[in-house]
Amino acid sequence: MSDDPKISGRYRELPREEPPRALDDAILAASRRAVDARPAPLVAPTGRRRWYVPVAAAAVITLAVAVTLHVQHDRPSEEGEPMTPPMKVQQVPRVEAPRRIQKPAAQPFTPEPPRADSPASAAAAAPARPASEETRELRAQRDEIASAGTRERAANMQGASAPAPAAAAGKVSVLSRLAQQSPEQWLQGIADLRRQGRHDEADKELAEFRKRYPDYRIAPAMLEKVERSRAR
Amino acid sequence: MEAPDEQLMLAYRDGDAGAFETLYARHRGALYRFVLRSLKDRPVAEELFQEAWIRVIEARERYAPSARFTTWLYTIAHNLLVDHWRRKGLVLVELNDEHASSDNPARQVEARESVARFLQVLEALPPAQREAFLLHEEAGMTVAEIAAATGTNEEAAKSRLRYAIAKLKAAVDE
Repeated sequence: MSDDPKISGRYRELPREEPPRALDDAILAASRRAVDARPAPLVAPTGRRRWYVPVAAAAVITLAVAVTLHVQHDRPSEEGEPMTPPMKVQQVPRVEAPRRIQKPAAQPFTPEPPRADSPASAAAAAPARPASEETRELRAQRDEIASAGTRERAANMQGASAPAPAAAAGKVSVLSRLAQQSPEQWLQGIADLRRQGRHDEADKELAEFRKRYPDYRIAPAMLEKVERSRAR
Repeated sequence: MEAPDEQLMLAYRDGDAGAFETLYARHRGALYRFVLRSLKDRPVAEELFQEAWIRVIEARERYAPSARFTTWLYTIAHNLLVDHWRRKGLVLVELNDEHASSDNPARQVEARESVARFLQVLEALPPAQREAFLLHEEAGMTVAEIAAATGTNEEAAKSRLRYAIAKLKAAVDE
């Protein structure tokens, strides 16, 4: 080792002393104790800390189950609340459908309630079935509620007007176009016929009017216009 | 191929007790002789030797292989020696020559006298020079490593080593 091999050789001639065995044992025992005393985070805890793991796992599982059940329990109510307004929206056209139909129907002004076998009632009942089917459809398609309501209203209106011509085709075929108007308009039309000198047609329309509305009380001023003798 | 000292120390830092045993077996004799020949009291030498290894054990978690393990180990031993010298001063160490053997009694005497003379000169060296020489012979350190282990510059370490070798050579040539 030394620059001078002679010096290094002479030094090697010195006794090669070693530490006592007891000293070796003491040092090695200290080194093992140090390693054993070192915390090992990846090793499962022992002793008092052993209960941490199962308790923590049980707490986590319990919390997860509770949250899941809570979410599942709340989900129907959360979905049900927004469904309520569309249901109301859907009910409106169905309730109003018969009322709207009464006006364009054959008995728009009659004080009597519409009869069940009247064309108006049949027309009002006809769209009810499509309406209920459409309601179920709308429950599944919440986003189309508005447009679907519009479509249903249109369907109701169409259903209300469609049966009227159908009924008129059989029963009111002899009536003039005036007969399809309101009583006041019908009377005004008769008065116009009378003023134009078309008395035969006016008489026929008036007779038909009284047949259709036997209880309708014609105002005296209008009566002078629609009756042949008075109009003259 | 044997694992380097630094790798063994890192393994021990990570909990491998066997790595320390290998490391200790590799350096125990040289460090023991370094401490023993630096002092003149065997019990004190053994105490300092044990204390040096205990400090290695305690410092394992902050060990970083920025230098050779040998340099780090002998730096610890050097600091312990300095503390000891500051407290009590230097005394001669009784060394057994039981390992010396020869069939020729005359040569045995001659060799024993030669070794004893060499040992006397070695022990008579100034502590810094002796320490530089022991680090060079026992730990196999270069001048730069001696400077690092003893906390001095390379010029001073080189000078100490040169003076120690010159005095020992003079004793051998007599």
